[in-house]
Amino acid sequence: MDNKRLLLAIIASIGILLVFETVFNKPAREAQRAQQQQAAQLAQPAPTPGPAGPLRTPTDAAPAAGTPREPAARLPVEGPRVQGTLNLRGARLDDLVLRDYRETTDPNSPLVRLFAPREGSAPYYAQWGWTAADGRTPVPGNDTDWQAEGGRLAPGNPLTLRWDNGQGQVFEIVLALDENYMVTAEQRVRNTGEQPVQLLPWARIRRESTPPTQGFYILHEGFVGVLDGRLREMTYKAAKEEAGKRSGLAFEQETSGGWSGFTDKYWLAALTPVDQSARLRASYRAVPEAGPHGQEDRWQVDFAPPAPMEVTPGATGGGQALRLFAGAKEVHLLDAYASRLGIPDFDKAIDFGWFYFLTKPFFFALDWLFKLFGNFGIAILVFTLALKAAFFPLANKAYKSMARMKVLGPKMQEIRERHKEDPAKAQAEMMALYRTEKVNPASGCLPIVIQIPVFFALYKVLFVTIEMRHAPFFGWIRDLSAPDPTNLFNLFGLIPYDPMQLSHYLHMPAWALIMGVTMFLQQKLNPAPPDPIQAKVFQYMPIIFTFMLASFPAGLVIYWSWNNLLSIAQQWYIMRLDAQRKGKAVAPAPSKG
Amino acid sequence: MSAAAEALKGAVILYQWTLRPFIGAQCRFHPSCSHYALEALSTHGAARGALMAGRRILRCNPWHPGGYDPVPTRTEQG
Repeated sequence: MDNKRLLLAIIASIGILLVFETVFNKPAREAQRAQQQQAAQLAQPAPTPGPAGPLRTPTDAAPAAGTPREPAARLPVEGPRVQGTLNLRGARLDDLVLRDYRETTDPNSPLVRLFAPREGSAPYYAQWGWTAADGRTPVPGNDTDWQAEGGRLAPGNPLTLRWDNGQGQVFEIVLALDENYMVTAEQRVRNTGEQPVQLLPWARIRRESTPPTQGFYILHEGFVGVLDGRLREMTYKAAKEEAGKRSGLAFEQETSGGWSGFTDKYWLAALTPVDQSARLRASYRAVPEAGPHGQEDRWQVDFAPPAPMEVTPGATGGGQALRLFAGAKEVHLLDAYASRLGIPDFDKAIDFGWFYFLTKPFFFALDWLFKLFGNFGIAILVFTLALKAAFFPLANKAYKSMARMKVLGPKMQEIRERHKEDPAKAQAEMMALYRTEKVNPASGCLPIVIQIPVFFALYKVLFVTIEMRHAPFFGWIRDLSAPDPTNLFNLFGLIPYDPMQLSHYLHMPAWALIMGVTMFLQQKLNPAPPDPIQAKVFQYMPIIFTFMLASFPAGLVIYWSWNNLLSIAQQWYIMRLDAQRKGKAVAPAPSKG
Repeated sequence: MSAAAEALKGAVILYQWTLRPFIGAQCRFHPSCSHYALEALSTHGAARGALMAGRRILRCNPWHPGGYDPVPTRTEQG
């Protein structure tokens, strides 16, 4: 009976956590939607017919089969930290790998791929183009083969793409790459014709498959951006839901400067204007499209001016200058870009969360320790120790009254005897006794309430930070950001069989067991809750957490274990200190208790 | 009771069942801070109840003697 209630309670708690997330975000979304619907109706330019409407009507279906074309020309992209190719058909950057990051800890594993072409299984690319707002000017499309000037894209070696529409308008895109992950693209149109033309330049990042996500509520993956000073995050699922209600547009905002794009746990592809005071419209889109695997989701972030631009005969215009960040979310790099290029809150691409004011400084402290010790695992241990030390006086204060508790021992025993049948009553009388005798063994709720955000912040930093990726620790841990690979169910490798082939629940790594044991020991030192059912939950907690943390990044499990161990050590130390004090105080007057 | 008070009580019950067993109950009072909060929210509503619970948590520190500290009734509060 109790077990059933217990199980129900646990299920209910998890349910409440999930519900909280949706309930909390929903009102904000609805308010936004009403506003955007209005804006979309007002701002939508006249319908744009013709083949080149990839922005307003993103139907980028593959060209009809049976029209053989020569393969698209490509030019190399060569930076110190990136390499790939630029697709001259359609002006796309659709092939980019990160030279400093590999897929696994194996030094021969492939480099991490950020952008991939449409021909592959997970297309992801950036593209620049125009929409003809006047409905008659031919604009470059997905099949346009651009002429290139510059040979390759590398730092100090910009590349100019050019396309003449044959009716007097020459479209140009000038691309430049820096030493890290930033591409600058300036779009412009030279009108040598007789008539003025109306054009809407755009740049977009498009993802034609849904990436695997961690699906964990403390880490955001999906659409992200800071627009008019506000962080705008949207998961793929939420975007799909929103977009379903208004023909593909999940979110739209006219903004002065800002940035937006797609974030993965460690990688980011985002657009931002060169001139941060420029007025722009940023949009998040989600469109289902017929693909080789049936209906497939297409995700898109795009930037365009709020209204089409007119280019008079003889003039150059109809353009915009945007930057494209495509790389790893390294805190120092994002901060440097933010200050050097004036990109507002660019570091928020890393999900530092509500406790930003704690998580960011924690990151810097950890990073400093990492550089000092050369091992991120050690940095975690040292930093946790420092935090515990900072809170030590609080814990110690509570136990100072322990000495006087001993004097009260007989009285307390008497109360317990008197209320054997009613523990709550005994508890109440004990509290009254504490008060009159001015002692209390507990440290109080305030120290705990203060510590919760602090330790949550540390946990969060460890979860999101790229420094932990592929960082080794001692023994069998070669990647702190991946689950501990050992498994109890094959006797830690003695049996040459992987039980996870049967079910991935059959994974019980060594560090998770260490965590469970330390948690159990630490709980033994805490007073049990007065409510019997809660006391039962209390008992099961180490087991539940052992299973829950089995698939967690090893770095986090090591942190939890270490934190538990430190709590135990602290309690033991304080008690010993207390015993010494008591020894001195009590020894001269032997008590007859 | 208002919806806000119900929601806050839900949050406190959630805490009692999840976080509390995990981090360990360390309350210096009877009734404990979370029970105090539930009762305060029931008898005094969301705004005043939350305020009373907040002040109780602030009192629940190592420098306060703690002890028996029930929720004041409505008439006591005036």
